[in-house]
Amino acid sequence: MSAPAGLVGEADVACDLAVDCGAVIVGSGAGGATMAAELAEAGVDVVLVEEGGYHPTESFGTHSGRALRTLYRDGGGGMAIGRPSVLFAEGRCVGGSTVVNGGMSWRTPAQVLDRWATREGVTAITEPDMEPYFARAEARHSVGLQDPGTVGRDSVLFRAGAEAHGWTVLPNRRNQLHCAGTNNCNNGCPTAAKRSMLVTSVPRALALGARLFADCRVDKVTLSGGTACGVTGHFVRPGGRPGPRLTVRARAVIAAGGAVQTPALLMRSGLRSASGQLGRNLSLHPNATVIAFFDCDVTGWQGVHQAFQVREFAPEGLLLTATNLTPPMLAGIMPGFGSGLGELMADYNRVVTAGPLVSDTGTGRVRNLPGLGTQVFYRLTDADAARVVRGVELTGQALFAAGARRLLLPFDGAPGVRGPGELRRLLARPVPKRSIQLYSIHLMGTARMSENPRRGVVDSFGEFHGVPGLFVADASLFPGPTGINPMETVIALAMRNARRLIERRARYRL
Amino acid sequence: MRPGARRFAEVVCPPQVREGDRTERVLREFELMLAALHPAARRAVTAGLVLIDQGARLYPRSRGRRLAGLDDRAAGAYLGALLGRHGTAAEMARRLKSLVVIGYYELPEARREIGYDPDPYIAAVSRRRLESYGAHIRAVEAAVTAPAEPSP
Repeated sequence: MSAPAGLVGEADVACDLAVDCGAVIVGSGAGGATMAAELAEAGVDVVLVEEGGYHPTESFGTHSGRALRTLYRDGGGGMAIGRPSVLFAEGRCVGGSTVVNGGMSWRTPAQVLDRWATREGVTAITEPDMEPYFARAEARHSVGLQDPGTVGRDSVLFRAGAEAHGWTVLPNRRNQLHCAGTNNCNNGCPTAAKRSMLVTSVPRALALGARLFADCRVDKVTLSGGTACGVTGHFVRPGGRPGPRLTVRARAVIAAGGAVQTPALLMRSGLRSASGQLGRNLSLHPNATVIAFFDCDVTGWQGVHQAFQVREFAPEGLLLTATNLTPPMLAGIMPGFGSGLGELMADYNRVVTAGPLVSDTGTGRVRNLPGLGTQVFYRLTDADAARVVRGVELTGQALFAAGARRLLLPFDGAPGVRGPGELRRLLARPVPKRSIQLYSIHLMGTARMSENPRRGVVDSFGEFHGVPGLFVADASLFPGPTGINPMETVIALAMRNARRLIERRARYRL
Repeated sequence: MRPGARRFAEVVCPPQVREGDRTERVLREFELMLAALHPAARRAVTAGLVLIDQGARLYPRSRGRRLAGLDDRAAGAYLGALLGRHGTAAEMARRLKSLVVIGYYELPEARREIGYDPDPYIAAVSRRRLESYGAHIRAVEAAVTAPAEPSP
């Protein structure tokens, strides 16, 4: 396992470093790595800084705890505080969340792009504008359908249940190159079939001359005369101890740390947006999980998870899918404890987990609080709570139609349900909002785009209003939720915005 | 924290946690997870564990003893009552339970007991992938670092 040329980790650094470059990019996930590859290909001198470590494909295994500690921020235990609170997970490693996500790759729906253009004042973002960038993103990351024989039985059962109701079901599109169906996406793909940034845009950028500093946390964006001119940070030693300092002087600074870390970094740097929207407008696509027990063997871990999406209710802002969980993750959300938990888990191979993803209307906020660091707050609206409950009911109907004998619902204290009638009766009663168990992996919107500086934090191409040379290149850009897995939108926007930056490179002396 | 954490793990994990050195390994895993959390969350979890341990003294059947000093029946009844409630304390107990049982189901023997043994399966399908598609995979992987791709 030799590290690629151009990569510098904390173990390689003994003293403070200062480097000069054309563009410094903070974060190596979908947005940052794509920007790095595009700019490096145009001959820009790129430095990429990533807080997490470099973990090559060969290091990925099936131990969820190890993956949570090494590949995720805060052990995967982020929490958006509210009633209810929403658990969330973000990647923190070279490649970012693309290393640990499910790899769903969908174009931004046309109506979402239209809304961003007409209501939010974003220019050059119609479907025809974006088409070449979607095509380029899909080509680079091998986006396509699964090969035959690689889909898990849990997904097949869920599709059968949905189709029994006559609902529209689509096969999921993934960034995968002959995915073998190891079902280890969330611990890192052990075959590199998932075309994450770790195996695509990061090595591409390095091969084209970019430099990558891993294990390095950026503390601040530096400004000179109101123009962005670099970043300062420090390497992180094992155990979290601070190591040597890194100072990067650059002519363009690109923040791509995700919808929590990007606004936190910009606010730490003393930046304010005239729109008042920096750190606000957080959407997170709340998800809930229904646990279904079948009489037959499912063995859902053999074959890829989330192979299909139920699209029947997309106009209502609801997607349904089956998401296989490893035993530790399933045990973590199971009700019961002791022998009761043991009895439930003994049926692990007869379980299907599935649930809704809600395109949310509520918003949250990212704040830096003294003594507490970066914290996330989120308010689930009554309308969204009602849609979560409806999504749970629809998921339950599909699971019963597929042959489930018993369901456990994601509501604190809810009894097990043994049939569709019982499910309907139970959910006809009000479900207390605070009892809903939610999680998220899609955080968006905290530095939203708009040409209008009173409305958006950045312009239509990601440049911070009023701070020349400072750009945002992650899901913070989104004016609102996509209603669909957001990775391809992030990649396509990064390609589009990189193209714009390259066209105007003289302005930034790149 | 350790005696309280040990008792908590013994009660919330399946009874087999007491076989061999499983409890000790679950606690090691729990401590590693604790170290990975956001500092504010780590402080909250640590304080929550102490509160749950000491809070048992207020539970009528505990006769004033902390969780670490309760027998199995009383400890199970106390945690059952706590986990079944609404509110901050119950929420904290549920989060703690999640962290601990995640560690339990990382144990290879716990995985085997529920029929989860992914490594041979992964090895087999990975081999099959290369046998079926090796040439295409190598071509795509080589293109990653090739000179300029076509631009839109």
